[in-house]
Amino acid sequence: MAAPRSTTGSTPTGGAPDSPGPAGTPATRRAVVVGGNRIPFARAGGAYTRATNLDMLTAALDGLVARFGLADERIGEVAAGAVLKHSRDFNLTREAVLGSALSPETPAYDLQQACATGLETVVGLSNKIRLGQIDSAVAGGVDSASDAPIVVSDPLRAVILDINRARTTGQKLKHITRIRPGHFTPSAPDTAEPRTGLSMGEHQALTTAAFAITREAQDELALASHHNLAAAYEAGFFDDLMTPYRGLTRDANLRADTSMEKLASLKPVFGKRLGAPATMTAGNSTPLTDGASTVLLASDDWAEQRGLRPLATVVDAEAGAVDFVHGRDGLLMAGVHAMPRLLARNGLTLQDFDFYEIHEAFAGTVLCNLAAWESEEYCRERLGLDRALGSIDRAKLNVHGSSLAAGHPFAATGGRIVASLAKALAAKGSGRGLISVCAAGGQGVVAILEAA
Amino acid sequence: MSSDNAGVGRSGGAPVPDDGARGGAVPGMPGEGVPDDGASVPDDGVPAVPVPDVPGLAHAAGMPDAPAPDEPAVELATVPALGGLYARGLAGSARAAATRRTTVRAGDLPDTHVVVRDVRPHADHLTAYQHLLGEPGADALPAGFVHVVAFPVATAVMVRPDFPLGLLGLVHVANRVEQRRAVRLGERLDIDAHARDLRAHRAGVTVEVVADVSVGGEHVWRGISTYLAKGVRLAGVRGGGHDVGVDAAATGSSAHNGRAPQNAGAPDLRAEWEPPLPTGRWALGGGVGRAYAAVSGDRNPIHMSALTAKAFGFPRAIAHGMYTASRALADIGPAARGEAFTWDVTFAKPVLLPSNVNVRVAREGDVWRYDAWDGRGRRHLTGSVTPPR
Repeated sequence: MAAPRSTTGSTPTGGAPDSPGPAGTPATRRAVVVGGNRIPFARAGGAYTRATNLDMLTAALDGLVARFGLADERIGEVAAGAVLKHSRDFNLTREAVLGSALSPETPAYDLQQACATGLETVVGLSNKIRLGQIDSAVAGGVDSASDAPIVVSDPLRAVILDINRARTTGQKLKHITRIRPGHFTPSAPDTAEPRTGLSMGEHQALTTAAFAITREAQDELALASHHNLAAAYEAGFFDDLMTPYRGLTRDANLRADTSMEKLASLKPVFGKRLGAPATMTAGNSTPLTDGASTVLLASDDWAEQRGLRPLATVVDAEAGAVDFVHGRDGLLMAGVHAMPRLLARNGLTLQDFDFYEIHEAFAGTVLCNLAAWESEEYCRERLGLDRALGSIDRAKLNVHGSSLAAGHPFAATGGRIVASLAKALAAKGSGRGLISVCAAGGQGVVAILEAA
Repeated sequence: MSSDNAGVGRSGGAPVPDDGARGGAVPGMPGEGVPDDGASVPDDGVPAVPVPDVPGLAHAAGMPDAPAPDEPAVELATVPALGGLYARGLAGSARAAATRRTTVRAGDLPDTHVVVRDVRPHADHLTAYQHLLGEPGADALPAGFVHVVAFPVATAVMVRPDFPLGLLGLVHVANRVEQRRAVRLGERLDIDAHARDLRAHRAGVTVEVVADVSVGGEHVWRGISTYLAKGVRLAGVRGGGHDVGVDAAATGSSAHNGRAPQNAGAPDLRAEWEPPLPTGRWALGGGVGRAYAAVSGDRNPIHMSALTAKAFGFPRAIAHGMYTASRALADIGPAARGEAFTWDVTFAKPVLLPSNVNVRVAREGDVWRYDAWDGRGRRHLTGSVTPPR
C-alpha cells in the first residue's frame, strides 16, 4: 500500500480516521509529535556504568510522563528497543512501563532494527495512530555499552540445555562430565558485522576511502557537531527535552571547547591499512555511549483534549538496505538508497527541507551520504536516477548537534533526533525536516517531519 | 522431508557411533594451505560427525548398477571412517617409502571406483556444518558439505593398495565442484569415487580424485580434488609440468610446459598481485582446525594443534583448505550463487592458525570471485563460482 501523500496545511486533522476509501483502503489521519524526553548520554564506562537498559529506559519514560502529566494514563502503546540486549530483557519495554508511572494497562512491545530502532518505533507507532488503531503512543530506545550482555560459550550452553532436558540424575551427571574448562571462556558482543568480520568503523573506512573524503572535512563536521550542541545547551534548547540522570545534566561526550587543532592532533583509528590515507579518528567517530530517549506521539484529538500542542507531523518514512557483504555499497549507505524513493513518493526534492538530520555514526558517513547524492555517476548507476539529487545547504544540517557530540547509544539516537527536529520545526513554525539514520546490517531509515 | 533415522550410512544400518569419527587420527591425509574461523566452534561443541564405522571392502563385481561398464567397482557397505582410512594410508605411505618409489607411470593409476550407496546425511551433522561455516540453516546441503560427506569415499580410493602415491604428504592444491542442482536433506546419495589423470607438476606429480554423487540415478554433484605428491616424478616426462597451487607446495620457480589439468583454469598464483580492497575478514582462532575436523572428520594432525603440526614441518596448525574455500562459498551466499554452479578454488600459502585473513568476495559480470590473503598481501587461496553454461 502506498503511503499517503501529505501536503503541509492540507492534512485532515479530525479525530477519527476518515471512512474507508472505495477500495477498502483505510483513510488516515495524521500522527503528531507532541514532545520528547531523554536522559543525558554518558560515555561508556562513565556515569551510567552500573545502570541497566531497563533502568535508563524507565528513567527516560518517567521523565516524559512527568513532563506531559501522563501519570496513570493508559497510553495506546509503547514501543522501544535496545541493540545490545540481555536475553532476560525479552520484554524490556513492557517492563519499563510496569516500572514507570504510566498505567499498568499500557501495552508495549520491543523492536530491534540496530541503530534505526528508535526511528523505526516512531514510524511504526505513527502508522498505528494514522490508521486509528491507537490515539497515543510512546516511541523510544535505549542502549548500554557499559552493561553489555556477556554470554557463555556455545558448547557450554549446549551442555546446560541438555542438562535441563535430562530426566534423571544419572543423565544429568553424564552431561555434566562433558563440560571442559575451555567452555568457560565468555564472549562479549562486538561491533563486527557477522557476515564480514569487519567492524563498523572498518567498513566506514572503506567507504570513506572510496569517496576520497578528507580528514579535514571530517574534522570540520565533528567540530560543527560539538559547537552546535554546545550552543543548543546554552540557548536552553534541551531544557524541555531532557531529564537529568545519575548526576549528568548534559551529554558527557560534549567538548564545547574543541577545535580543529585538537581534532587534528588525534591519531587515526580506522582504515590504517587501506593504501589510502587513514582519516578516521576518535574525534570524528562516535564513542560507545549509554543512554535512553522517548518521544510522545498522538492524534491531534488526543493532544487537544489534554491541552498539548503538537510540534510536528510524522509525514512518511522509507527503509533501505544495501549489499555491503560483497562490497557493492558501503555498510552505512542504505539511507542514500532509500532517500530518492521517499522523495519521489512525496513529490519533493532533496532541497525542499529546512532541517536535515543525518545521523553522525561517523563524520565520514554523513559526508559519503552527501557526496553520493551530489554524484551524477552514483545517482545514475547505483540509484537508477536521471540525475544527481544534488547538494544541500550545509547550514541546515544537524543544527543542534548530532551523534559525534552527543554520543550514540544505538537505539536511543532515533528518539533524540525526532524530538529535537520536532521542536526545531515548532520553533520555526513552518517547514519540513529530513532524517536519515544508518544501521548495522547495511540498513537505513529515512523520514520526513513537517511543522504541525 | 523427513530426516528420521537419517545417518550417514546405509539404509537400515545402525546410526554411526560418535567414536567412529574420532578414532585414531593418523598422519597422512592430504594437507592443505587454508584458514578457518575457529573462534565460534570449539572442538567439543560440535556433534561428532556421524561417519560410520568401517566394514571391510567388499567386491561388487557384476553389480548391475556399477558406475561404468569397463571399470572395476568396489562397493562399500557404508561410508568408511576416516580414522581407519588414515591408518591404512599411513601403512601405504610407509610401504611407498620403504620401496623408495619416486617415479610413477601414467598407467599406474587403476580404474577402480569405490562406491557407497544410499548415504543419508544426518540433520545434526548438517546443522553443525552450517553453523561452523556460516551457511544458512536450510535443508539444502551446501556444496562444501557434500564434499565432506563424499570425502571418506574419495579417501578410500587413495588408501587402496593399487593407488600409486603415498597418502602421507599429499598436498591439496586445487578443488572443483560441479553442482547440477542442490542436494536436499533426506535424499539418498550414491557416491562413486575414483582417481584419474596423473600429471607431471613442477614439484612432483598431481592426481585428481573425482567423487560423483547421484540421487536416484540423477548425477547431481561432482567434486574434483587435485592433490600433489611432492618429489615424485612421472615417468617419460622431462622437466616442467604444470604448477597449480605451486605455492601450496612451497616450491621455487617453475615453468609452464605441462598440460593443464582440469583444475588449471586457475590464475597464476605467483604472478604479481596487488591486494584489492577487502570486503571482509576472517578472524581464525587457534581451534579452527579442530572445529572443522569435528564436522569433516578430517583429523589430519597438521590441522589439530601446533604440536602435531610441527611434527609435519608446519610452525603452527594450518586451516583446512576446504574450510576456507567453503567460507568463501558461504560469503557469496545462496541467493547469489544459485543452486547450480561450478565452484573452483586454488590453494596457495597455507593459513597458519590463529590468524586474521583478509577476504574479498565480489561479482565480476556473472562470475563470483574470491581471494583471501594475509596481512602482507600474500594469497592463501583464490577461486570463483560460475553459473552453468
